[in-house]
Amino acid sequence: MIQLHGVSVDYPNGVRALGDLTVTINKGEFAFVVGATGSGKSTLLKLLYREVLPTSGTVIVDGENVPALKSSLVPHLRRKLGIVFQDFKLLPQKNVWENLAFVLKVTGAKPREIRRRISEVLELVGLAHRCDSFPSQMSGGEQQRAAIARALINHPTVLVADEPTGNLDPDTSWEIVQLLEQINVRGTTTVVATHDSQIVDRMRKRVIQLEGGRLVRDEDRGAYQHCEL
Amino acid sequence: MSATKIGARISTVSFRSVEFLIQEAVTGIRRNGLMAFASISTIALSLAVLGAFVLMAMSANNFAAAQIDKFEIAVYVPLENKTALDRIRREIAQIRGVESIILRDRDQEWARLKQQRPDIEPAGLPLNPLPFTFDVRLSDRSRTTAIATHVRTIAGVEKVTAGDEVLNRLMMLARVVKVVSYVGAAALLVTSLLIISNAIRLTLYARRREIRIMQLVGATNQFIRIPLVIEGVVFGAVGALVAWLLLQLGSSYLAYVSQRIMRLATQFSSGIKPSELALSLLALGVAIGALGSLVSIRRFLHDQ
Repeated sequence: MIQLHGVSVDYPNGVRALGDLTVTINKGEFAFVVGATGSGKSTLLKLLYREVLPTSGTVIVDGENVPALKSSLVPHLRRKLGIVFQDFKLLPQKNVWENLAFVLKVTGAKPREIRRRISEVLELVGLAHRCDSFPSQMSGGEQQRAAIARALINHPTVLVADEPTGNLDPDTSWEIVQLLEQINVRGTTTVVATHDSQIVDRMRKRVIQLEGGRLVRDEDRGAYQHCEL
Repeated sequence: MSATKIGARISTVSFRSVEFLIQEAVTGIRRNGLMAFASISTIALSLAVLGAFVLMAMSANNFAAAQIDKFEIAVYVPLENKTALDRIRREIAQIRGVESIILRDRDQEWARLKQQRPDIEPAGLPLNPLPFTFDVRLSDRSRTTAIATHVRTIAGVEKVTAGDEVLNRLMMLARVVKVVSYVGAAALLVTSLLIISNAIRLTLYARRREIRIMQLVGATNQFIRIPLVIEGVVFGAVGALVAWLLLQLGSSYLAYVSQRIMRLATQFSSGIKPSELALSLLALGVAIGALGSLVSIRRFLHDQ
């Protein structure tokens, strides 16, 4: 589902964010990407939705050669992915319902289809009662639920979450991660960048650890810290 | 699971999309009220200042033209040459640049003179002593001096007054007024364009996060751009209408004042109809709004 081969990313300021990274994530897998700030987690995720272009190497997501995609087709790549951000990135002038509807409307969906899909995802994330609320009127956890609902609304094959719990308290974080797992169980390949060790340790999923832009560990059912036993 | 290739389903702008794009623009304006107000008031004031200058420049030009238009050459033919009048008239009419020739009514002038100077008649002038006078209007006033000189050579003409000194100065002044108004209008137009496009850029800058999010959730640039351009057009149109109202109020007040105090109103007028003014302002506002948004959005859509 996701294949990175020999990927390097150099930023214009000369910083090497990723160096010769090769990773494959299979369909339906749940993977954590962990590492300290500046280790290249975010860059790795941004490669997937073409926020960043690799300096060298190939990036294939759901059969698409992402760096080779014409820029006019980038929106269509993003509609195939669900993206969740640390700062939620909800449209501040729109309420939850409108935020979700926007994503469907840009694809030209019919009004009936829009209503059906919105109630479906709001039910899934448990936010049906908040559909009239604006982002500024909701808690961080609720906003992130709304953002996850938005990420799911196009039935993505891949869900990409960049520090989804970074702005949330531990209890809410746990709820959000459980929600992500629930989505993963339904068949969506899920990639979560995080530095939340509690969550990683509790979940025991695949852990991809980066350090200075290099892969230092790739372990199934891993913990946040690698324990030498 | 077979991966659907992206290229196969590029959405086109359908009827439903048009409805959506307009809806987006309307919500955008409603929910960004303060920004809308800032844009509209900037556009309104810029267009009002520009419009006021253009109206005054047009009035000044019209006034100058009207003054120049009044200039005529007066050709005096003494009473004893009465028989030559028709010949002189024909000869003047043949000169290039002469528009019309009118023979003044001597009796009327005499009557008026007697009224103004009641002491004339008792002084021993019972009969009308005034010469025949032709008022010659010229189509090309820059040839006044040449034509006057020509007329002086016609046999039977006693005296020609052309007032060309004053006329030349007046025409020079009119030229200056014209140049100043063109340069001023151009400078003000450029200034208004800059101010308005800056205001639009600021409103977009305030919404750059929003634009960014739309890109991230898969909106094509077209879908982001069109509602914002529609907003720009609406701002331009509303701003133009406000500017028009301000100008109508201002000019009717000025007309009222000048009529009461200076009696200049008829001469000092731009000669443009309110409907024409409204249409020009509207066209300008809409064009500036659309172009300003279009150019500014490009910057926010490009930095990926």
